[in-house]
Amino acid sequence: MTFVEMAYRWISPSASNVVLPVDTRQVTIIRAPSFARFSLINSLTELAHYRDLLYTLTVHRIRVRYKQSVLGMSWAVVQPVSMMIVFTVVFSLIARVPSGDVPYAIFAYVGLLPWNFFSGSVTNSTGSLVSHAQLITKVYFPREILPITYVLAAVFDSLIASSVLAALMFYYRVPLTINALYTIPIVVVLALFSLSMGLLLSATQVRFRDIGMAVPLLLQLWMFATPILYPLSAVPAQLRDIYALNPLVSIIESFRQALLSETAPDLWSLAKSALISMMLLIASYSYFKRVEATMADKI
Amino acid sequence: MIDLKFDGVSKKYRIRREAGRAVSSSKSGRFRNFARNYEEFWAVKNVSFQVTRGETLGIIGPNGAGKSTVLKLLSKITVPTSGEITINGRLSALIEVGSGFHPELTGRENIYLSGSILGMRRREITERLDSIIEFAGVRGFIDTPVKRYSSGMYVRLGFSIAAHLQPDILLLDEVLAVGDAAFQAKCYERIRTLRERGTTIVFISHDLNAVEFLCDRALLLSSGEVAADGLTRDVIGQYEEIVYGASVRSEPKGRSNGTRKPIRITGLTFRDYQQREVLSACTGDPFIARVEFAASEPLRDLDFDVFYYSSDGRLHCQFSTSVGQYPLDLDRGDGVVQFSCPELGLQPGVYYADATIRRRTDGEQIDWQYRFALLRVEPGKRVSGRFYAPHRWRLTQPKDPVQFPPGFADSPSGWDESGVLERSNE
Repeated sequence: MTFVEMAYRWISPSASNVVLPVDTRQVTIIRAPSFARFSLINSLTELAHYRDLLYTLTVHRIRVRYKQSVLGMSWAVVQPVSMMIVFTVVFSLIARVPSGDVPYAIFAYVGLLPWNFFSGSVTNSTGSLVSHAQLITKVYFPREILPITYVLAAVFDSLIASSVLAALMFYYRVPLTINALYTIPIVVVLALFSLSMGLLLSATQVRFRDIGMAVPLLLQLWMFATPILYPLSAVPAQLRDIYALNPLVSIIESFRQALLSETAPDLWSLAKSALISMMLLIASYSYFKRVEATMADKI
Repeated sequence: MIDLKFDGVSKKYRIRREAGRAVSSSKSGRFRNFARNYEEFWAVKNVSFQVTRGETLGIIGPNGAGKSTVLKLLSKITVPTSGEITINGRLSALIEVGSGFHPELTGRENIYLSGSILGMRRREITERLDSIIEFAGVRGFIDTPVKRYSSGMYVRLGFSIAAHLQPDILLLDEVLAVGDAAFQAKCYERIRTLRERGTTIVFISHDLNAVEFLCDRALLLSSGEVAADGLTRDVIGQYEEIVYGASVRSEPKGRSNGTRKPIRITGLTFRDYQQREVLSACTGDPFIARVEFAASEPLRDLDFDVFYYSSDGRLHCQFSTSVGQYPLDLDRGDGVVQFSCPELGLQPGVYYADATIRRRTDGEQIDWQYRFALLRVEPGKRVSGRFYAPHRWRLTQPKDPVQFPPGFADSPSGWDESGVLERSNE
C-alpha cells in the first residue's frame, strides 16, 4: 500500500475502496539496443504517434523543392519528358528498339514514370539521414520518417508527371482500359520496395559514406537491367530467369501492361514482387531500427 | 511519483583514431585499420538518479563530465550501452533553439515544422499559433521566409515554439542564454509557469546562477560519474570547490621572484564575527580577513592588500591599508594584519583572494600571493545588484511620529552602535 493510499484511508475510513486517480502517462523504458528486442508493432505504433510530423515533413519536402524556382512544380514534368525525348530520339530513330503496338515515346514514358519514382526516392532517401545530421543529433523522432517523407514526396512528383502521360495517351489515341486500376496496387508495391531500399541504404550510409558515391552508379546499372527502354520480350529467353530476379522487372512490366495493353498484368509475378518487397521491407526496417539506436553517435 | 529514473546507466563511445602516420598501403591493411583503430571511452559510468514529479533538477559539471551525454540519453537521441532509463510521461527537450527550421519556409510554416519535430500535434500548434507568434514578437514577419529574419527574431521564434510545448517532463539545455535581457526574463517566467503547473524539469547548464535560481536539487557530474546529489546550494558549493579550489594554492606565483624576500605572506584566512575561522561568509555579515606574514628584517613604509576576484577573473573588491593615513612599519618576526569589515558587501558566489604587500612610496610589490585563498559567499542579506551596500532605515510618518531612543540613528555614533556590534556581543 502506498503512502497516498494510506493517507486516503485515514481521511475517509468508510470508503475503503477509494479509486485513486490512475496515472495515464505513457511509460518509456530505454535500454541498450539488441536485435532480439525489435518489435515491428512497437515501431509502427510509435510511427503512428508521429504521423503529424510525417505529414508536415512531406508537405515541407514538396514545398521546399519548388520554392524560389521560376518553373516551380513543372520541374516534376520537365525531367521525365526530356528523358523521354532523348531516349525516343536515340532508341526509336537511331537504334530502332521494338515497342509493340504503341509509339516508342509513350512506351518509354510509361517505363520512365515508375523508374523515376524509384530512382528519385532511393537517391533522396539514401542521403536523408546524413543531410539531417543537425536534426538527428539534437532531437528525437523516429528516424525512418526522413526516408519515408522522400518516398511520399516522390509519389507526389509522379502524380504530376503522370499528367503528361494522360496528354500523351490522348494525343496518340491509346485507349485506357479498366486494367489501369491495377496501377494502384503496383505503385504500392513499388513504393514499399523503394522504401526498403531507402531504409537499408540510408542506415548504411550513416557509417559508410561510400554508399552516397555508389548509389548513382548502382541506379544507372539497375536502369539498364530493367525493361524501361526496351520490352521484356527483347531479353534472350535463356537469361529471363536471372533477369526476373530483379523485382523491378515484374513491377515495371506490369505497370506498362496495365496502362497500354488490353490483357491484365500477370498477377502471380506481381504477387511474388509484393511478397519480396514486404520481406525486404521488414528486414531493412529492423536493421534500420537497430542502427537508429546509436545513429546520433556515428553520423 | 518518480518521473525519471536512471538505473546504473553507462554509455561507451568508440573514438576512432584518424591515423596521422602512414597507414599500410595494402587493401587488407586499410580495412583492418578501419575496423580496429579505435579507443573506448566511457562518457557516462554507472549513473543512477531519480527525479520526482514536479521537481526541478539541475545537472552541472565541468566540460566533459557527461552532461551532454545524459541529455542525449534522456531525450532518446542515443541509447545507453548498459543500464535502464525509465521515463514516465511525455518528455520534450528544448535542446537547441531553431532546430528544424528551414530557411526557405515562412515563419508560419516553420512553426508547424519545428513544432511537429518537437513532438507537437498539428492541432495543438494551430491552437497555440497566435500565442507563439505573440511571444516571439514576429507578428509582422510571420509570412516571410525565416532566412530573412534577424538572428534575434530567429532565436525568439525558436524558443517561443519550444516554450509552448506542454510536456510532462521538460529538458532544458543552455538555450536560455539567447536573446536580449527582456526576452530572457520572459523565458524564465515561462519556465517558472511550467514549474508551478507541476512540470518536471531537468536543467543542464554551466550557468550556476541560473541553476541556483531555477532548481530545487542538483546533480554534480564529474568524469561521467555522479559526484554529488543534493540541495542545489550545497552541490554548487562542491562544484565550485572542485573547479576553482584546484587552482587555489596549487601554484602561488610571486611577482618578485627574488631568491630571498625580506617579508613573506604566509597565510590568508577568513573569520566570522565570533573569530571562528571560516571558508564561507554571508553577504551583509561581519567579516574578517587576516593576512599572516613573516618578516626577516624590520621594514618600513608598507601597505597590505587583499583583492577579491570572482570566478570569471573580475576584481570585485579590495581591502587595503593604503586607505589609512600612515603606512605600516614592522619589526622583525611573524605577525598578522587583520581587516575587519562590519558588513560584507560581496554578493553570493565564489571569489579568489590575492594578498599583496607593497611599499607605499614607490609601489613596489614585495610579495604577491596569487589566488591565495578561496572564499565562498553565501546568501545572507539578500539584495539585488552588484554588491551589498550597508544601510539602515528609519520610518517617519507625520501622524504618528516614531520616538527613537536618544542618540540612535540621529547621531554619528549611531552608526557604530548598529546591529553589527550588538550582534558581536551576543
